[in-house]
Amino acid sequence: MTATEFALRTDGVGKRYRKGWALRDCTLDLPAGGVIALVGPNGAGKTTLLRLVVGLLAPSAGSVEVLGHDVTAGTPHTLSRVGFLAQEHPLYKRFTVAEMLRFGRACNLRFDQGLAERRLATLGIPLDRRAGTLSGGQQAQVALALALAKRPDLLVLDEPVASLDPLARHEFLQVLMGAVAEGGVTVLFSSHVVHELERVCDHLVVLDHGRVTLTGDIDTLLAEHRLLVGPRTATDLDRAGAVVQAVHSDRHTTLLVRDGAIPTAPGWQARPVALEELVLAYLRRPSASGVAAWRG
Amino acid sequence: MAWLIWRQHRAEVCVLAVLVGVFGLALLVLGTQAHDLFPGGPARCAGQAGVDEACAASFRGLDERYGYVENLLAAFYLVPVVIGAFLGAPLLARELEDGTWQLAWTQAVPRTRWLAAKLAALAGVTVALTGMFTAVLTWFREPFDAGEGRFQYDAFDLEGLVPVAYALFAFGVATAAGAILRRSLPAFGVAFGAFLAARMTVALLARPAYATPLTSVEPVPVGGSKDRAGHVADWMIERGYADATGRRLSATEFAELEGAADRAGTNLNQFLHARGVQQFGVYHPADRFWPFQLIETALFLTVAAVLIGVVVWRVRRRVI
Repeated sequence: MTATEFALRTDGVGKRYRKGWALRDCTLDLPAGGVIALVGPNGAGKTTLLRLVVGLLAPSAGSVEVLGHDVTAGTPHTLSRVGFLAQEHPLYKRFTVAEMLRFGRACNLRFDQGLAERRLATLGIPLDRRAGTLSGGQQAQVALALALAKRPDLLVLDEPVASLDPLARHEFLQVLMGAVAEGGVTVLFSSHVVHELERVCDHLVVLDHGRVTLTGDIDTLLAEHRLLVGPRTATDLDRAGAVVQAVHSDRHTTLLVRDGAIPTAPGWQARPVALEELVLAYLRRPSASGVAAWRG
Repeated sequence: MAWLIWRQHRAEVCVLAVLVGVFGLALLVLGTQAHDLFPGGPARCAGQAGVDEACAASFRGLDERYGYVENLLAAFYLVPVVIGAFLGAPLLARELEDGTWQLAWTQAVPRTRWLAAKLAALAGVTVALTGMFTAVLTWFREPFDAGEGRFQYDAFDLEGLVPVAYALFAFGVATAAGAILRRSLPAFGVAFGAFLAARMTVALLARPAYATPLTSVEPVPVGGSKDRAGHVADWMIERGYADATGRRLSATEFAELEGAADRAGTNLNQFLHARGVQQFGVYHPADRFWPFQLIETALFLTVAAVLIGVVVWRVRRRVI
């Protein structure tokens, strides 16, 4: 099973639409197990990347390998191992919930109808209601139950909670994390909300302007990065290469550096960085190449 | 898959089946009455036999009682596009506009198999419904065809094989337009427009050219133009007059001859006959009905196949 040690490997993947490149030179090695967050602002290429991962789109360049298989082949075997929850969690609105489950059973190899029914019963979602008449939160839950009943090895979710109210968001994440805790499934989800990620995720991918700007295990990333506060300086001194972001106030300069933990210079104080600060710093970083790629 | 296709498209299929059923039943009832006017069947009165007394009476009765129905049949020109486009337009467009393509194509059924099953099922329904309706309509028109032939626009376009080909053409246009426009209603509109344009162009311009028409030339009879009873089923494309050498007369030349006959105070036909003027007809004989049906069927089916090919290519290549 060495081939499936990686849930997802992409090599130089790019996707070009008529208006230009939405994703460029995306190379990722994401381990199986755990939860991977794909973070980036709107228009960064998150949806494009996720659609490439589940085989809804074909890459314009590079290759995508999911669970050790080329996903563009689209064989029933590969398709059955990957679950996908698209943005706005689309359902057939005129189907009843029971009919949605029948759809799942008819179109899958190892669909666990009982599992889906139990999940929906726990949530109090009646099977005889039409999907279109359910609340947004309930629709998301039905879509999630459907995706989980496939018993996927990789579950991909595109902005799963973006359209939900705080309560529904909480319930959704609870169900999702419950499924992860039961084991066996790798979750890859996108979000433009950085908040709360730390609690939920093991791995982070930051995408900006169609390029990957940061990827890694969250604990490792937090250990590698730190904030240095010292007297205001015009230049970024000898740390220039490792500085991710420099913020100057009247008297102080704050540097976000990725230097492991080499001793601080005299007059400088080090403190750990929070995940949200880290992500925001990478998103704020001017990425000239990315912008050029997008425009080109 | 069968259950899914039925569940997703049952509304359209049921509505169309009810429409075909209601109109088909009406035609069966009226058609039975019309057939009863022809003891021994309408086929007996076709061609030369149509001039005998009994048949002439049958045709008169048919015209008086059911002539209005024949005029209404023109509405059925639209049956193929209603069936084909109504089934084809939502096939992909509805999935694309609701976002459910992302659901449908991430289950374990590969998208090409999903598409093949849908295309086969809905094209099959299109063929079945159009075929059944056309069979009833072809039978209904038997008494009319006996008197008028099958080459008129209200016969050729409604009978035989071509309506099914028209319906598959509309199905192909609607499906392809739905895949590209990603909206059902505009796709239906495009299919409707394309159907009217293609049908008119083919019927008026292409169809007369499927084969070289025949030309008949005969002297103007003294007693005036007799009804060409034996040729009534032919498809007359052009008729006119030619002089003794066979040169065709223009409208002005013929008008001059008419004027001359008037001034001379003689009967026009006698006048023309005396001058050796001939009347000619350019036509396709009635027995070209089936070859022409096959040619037109092949034409529309080819275009439909190309359009379906484009749809399959787009889905396979993940253009959508």
